[in-house]
Amino acid sequence: MRLHEHEALDIFEQMGIPVPRRGLATTMHEALHIAGEIGYPVILKAQVLVGGRGLAGGIKVAHSPDELKELAEGLLTSEIKGLPVRKILVCEKVEIQKELYLGITIDGYSGRPVIVVSTEGGVLIEETAKNAPEKIASIHIDPSFGYYPYKSRSLLRRLGLEQKIISAWSDVISQLYTISIRYEALIAEINPLVVLPNGGLLAVDAVLEIDDSAISRIHLPLPDRFERMENPLERRGREIGVTYVDLDGDIGLISSGAGLGMASMDIIAKNMRPANFLETGGGITADLLYRCMDLVLMKPNIRAIFINVYGGINPIHEGAKGVARYIKEHKVKIPIVAKALGNRQEETWEILRSAGVHVVTETATEKAIERLYELVGTNRE
Amino acid sequence: MSVLIDDSTRVLVQGITGRIGSVQTHWMLEYGTKVVAGVTPGKGGTEVEGVPVFNSVEEAVKETGANASVFFVPAAFVLDAFLETVDAGIKLIVVVPEHIPVRDVIKMRHYAIEKGVFAIGPTTPGILSPGKGKMGIMPASLFRPGRVGIISRSGTLSYEFAGILSEVNVGQSTVVGMGADPVILRNLADILELFERDNDTDGVIIVGEVGGEQEEKAAGFIARRMTKPVAAYIAGRYSPQGKRMGHAGAIIRGSAGTVEAKQEALRAAGVEVLDSPIHAAQWAIKHKLR
Repeated sequence: MRLHEHEALDIFEQMGIPVPRRGLATTMHEALHIAGEIGYPVILKAQVLVGGRGLAGGIKVAHSPDELKELAEGLLTSEIKGLPVRKILVCEKVEIQKELYLGITIDGYSGRPVIVVSTEGGVLIEETAKNAPEKIASIHIDPSFGYYPYKSRSLLRRLGLEQKIISAWSDVISQLYTISIRYEALIAEINPLVVLPNGGLLAVDAVLEIDDSAISRIHLPLPDRFERMENPLERRGREIGVTYVDLDGDIGLISSGAGLGMASMDIIAKNMRPANFLETGGGITADLLYRCMDLVLMKPNIRAIFINVYGGINPIHEGAKGVARYIKEHKVKIPIVAKALGNRQEETWEILRSAGVHVVTETATEKAIERLYELVGTNRE
Repeated sequence: MSVLIDDSTRVLVQGITGRIGSVQTHWMLEYGTKVVAGVTPGKGGTEVEGVPVFNSVEEAVKETGANASVFFVPAAFVLDAFLETVDAGIKLIVVVPEHIPVRDVIKMRHYAIEKGVFAIGPTTPGILSPGKGKMGIMPASLFRPGRVGIISRSGTLSYEFAGILSEVNVGQSTVVGMGADPVILRNLADILELFERDNDTDGVIIVGEVGGEQEEKAAGFIARRMTKPVAAYIAGRYSPQGKRMGHAGAIIRGSAGTVEAKQEALRAAGVEVLDSPIHAAQWAIKHKLR
């Protein structure tokens, strides 16, 4: 789960990381009030969960109440990379001497946390990593022994910094590392970490992404994870316990397993366009597939559905009952092609066939999608 | 010989009394796997599918000589059960469950490697050696004995590849699900090495997917060490890019992770990149792997 900047900043502040004075506004009038208390100029930052927000026009500077009214109104009625801006963060604008970068993540390949720092923070950090790798330093943490502050000090010494900034910065790294452990973070990042004219540091942005698999054991206040999902179909998927991704085509997909789902999409996309990605995981029941049918058919333009499931951990014969019940109750007329192999496959085919589903018994997904293509024809809307 | 599972493998099922554990024990036994014990703390002394259940791994090992373990334990309890299993001296562990916290996986991975344990998963369908046995959830009907090894990040895609090969009478030596989580217990290159050394394997198919850098790192191993033919399929070309936030991952990985980067790295290592799963059949026939 990704937190909004304002949520992450609140957490960083509680842990002692210096953050700017700020307030959250959902209306132009609230923004005006907050700016009045902070004093101009202020920065207005759209609270949307996308990367590259600044370059996409989601960050503005207001020097006066008149300018703020116009900018706040503009932001609150805009979309950033397709997401509506519902809230803006109004922050004090500070004088910046230098922008640093600090990120903590998990290096998946070596299976260790890694701390990454750079003296060239800001929006172009990934370019710096490519073009000037000497300005980036990173250090892995041994999971058996954990983090100790000397790790940060030795990391920062590699960037050739003065002791004064090393002391201040390593404190921030220690605090952010503690946050990454307590909140089971996949990413904890401050970019930029600003050096102020007095030499102090200030975290003017905050990224925190929490491991979904660990949420139930984090005994700290957390925002609601369903509420933040903007797409109602994707939210519905999460509610019923499947992964659903909304796409722009018209062929519905239900698959068991992410890899099989991705391969199905890749093959569908050769001649047609998938309307969604849907992956059930290992928890198929009759009710779950009934709900999956309902979810996929919430989009009005679906021309056909492809069901691609394996009976390994999943009782596919149970799933088939749910599909058949849905078709019967809702008198579904569009073509449905199913490939269902594995434990109890014959029983599964029987149930699906009697509900009018086109069952393909060959193994290759390609063959089933050829059948689907024949059924929906080539004329596309 | 085969990879990881052979005639001497004596399997312990953890979480055997659960709904999934008991059903999968049935299928493993039916496939001829020597399932010798189950463990569920508090349910010792009972039986599931005729297999004795113990309260601890230590007891199960002592009483039955179990030397490999497969997990059907709820995600929240996996770390504890895993450490217990390593401490009891078991050297092969298959972690089937999904949704295990990444920080638990990190601990498991490092403890296993430190203690010389070969562990795979999490989120893996397990290991199946056709005609010999299986640890995990792979549906046996799709597999045939033969000489092609399969290593897959995705469970269901490993079934798909095995099934496609079986349909043209290309059998498999062993099929291994490496797991699909951001951190896995053993990297792809380590599993490839087992197949390179296995006398019963003549060629290997890697079934990868978008994200992470397992395939790119394995390409280095293949170029240096693999003498057997390798083919690879990478799923996810059409998958939408996530609304990514944060830069730390991109900084440490560089361009790794895309379908194109994986395919390019593998091709440069001499791997035949398959455009679609169905092409696995022609590849195997071309290399006379029947």
